[in-house]
Amino acid sequence: MALKSKTYIRRAEREDLDKIVEWMEEPDFLRFLYGDPTRSPRQIREHIVSMLGRSSAQTVPGSLYLLIDSEEWGPVGLLSLQNISWRNRSCSADLYIGKKEFRNHMVAAVSFYRAVDYCFNELNLHRITAYIYAFNEPSWRIMEKSGAKRELTFRDHVARDGQLYDVYGYGLLRSDYEAFCQKHPHLIAGLMSSMVDAQRVASAETAS
Amino acid sequence: MIRGKYSAIRSAEADDAAVLKTFYDPSRPRSCLLDMRRELLLPSLDELREVLGQKEQGKPIFYAVENLTGEVRGFCSMRGQSLESTYGEFVVVLDDADLDTPLAVEVFQFLANQAFVRMRFNKILTHCLDSEQEYRAYLLRHGFKSDGVQRDVTFMLGRWHNLEAFSLFAADAVIEDLE
Repeated sequence: MALKSKTYIRRAEREDLDKIVEWMEEPDFLRFLYGDPTRSPRQIREHIVSMLGRSSAQTVPGSLYLLIDSEEWGPVGLLSLQNISWRNRSCSADLYIGKKEFRNHMVAAVSFYRAVDYCFNELNLHRITAYIYAFNEPSWRIMEKSGAKRELTFRDHVARDGQLYDVYGYGLLRSDYEAFCQKHPHLIAGLMSSMVDAQRVASAETAS
Repeated sequence: MIRGKYSAIRSAEADDAAVLKTFYDPSRPRSCLLDMRRELLLPSLDELREVLGQKEQGKPIFYAVENLTGEVRGFCSMRGQSLESTYGEFVVVLDDADLDTPLAVEVFQFLANQAFVRMRFNKILTHCLDSEQEYRAYLLRHGFKSDGVQRDVTFMLGRWHNLEAFSLFAADAVIEDLE
């Protein structure tokens, strides 16, 4: 079965601000990703505005924020590629699925594979790093299925609800991903280009 | 200034910039001098003067490590502290030849005291490039345990380098008072 879904990834726009703020204020966002509960909604908004304001025309951006969108359900999640190093051809990736009903769904996996495909086949990166909390098993399972290796285990590393939890560090090299693609060609066949603007494609098809 | 039997450790000042700059050597990359993206920094003397002049929450960015004759042999720091999760990053910048000396033992004791006694951290972390074998041995001698190896993290000197992470928990640390 090819990994097809109705989602696509695109650059986040200013109009997406309210949706992203809404996600970033969710307890799950704080728990699974950037857990700083002391930040006020205003600080969150300012942070997002600054990240959306980064110029896409910049030749070598240090970070990219992409929205996982769909015609059917609207924005589904947020994908950030940070600490992009053009010298080391590497980045760190974070994925947040805002729609809870999709978290254990194929949508999360497809979105991640689209991001990986974009990193290796469009940005020409060599390595993707992801730090995932041990209690976030659905996320690290997706990483492992993509061929990523669990390279680090930081014991008692992050505090949540008054307890310390382990954090796993995953590394996905281009060679790991190529091996995964060779092993599962039928899964990858449906991915196509990662930055497909479905609306534009649909318009072009209508026009033709 | 904290005086040990073999060293004196004090807040680094802008005047120490020239010595610090010698450690930013592209032919001998050090994990602790890589940035967030794991790229090697090559700061100018002016930039280093500015950095050393800064204080973080009233504390210096680096401590200078002097030998008994007053010569600055290197630097150390406890940086990137996560107060919520109670850990900090252990940074020691010394020549390889100094890492297996009593001076380096005192540098470890100074930072371990800072982390585990004064700040009551649960653990300290550090990193080591695959080319830093003397630093790796130094960490193991002081009880650090490997958390794993990140592959092909940085490209320098014509090849990819792996980066190993180490941690030392308070319960496993042997801490002696320097003074």
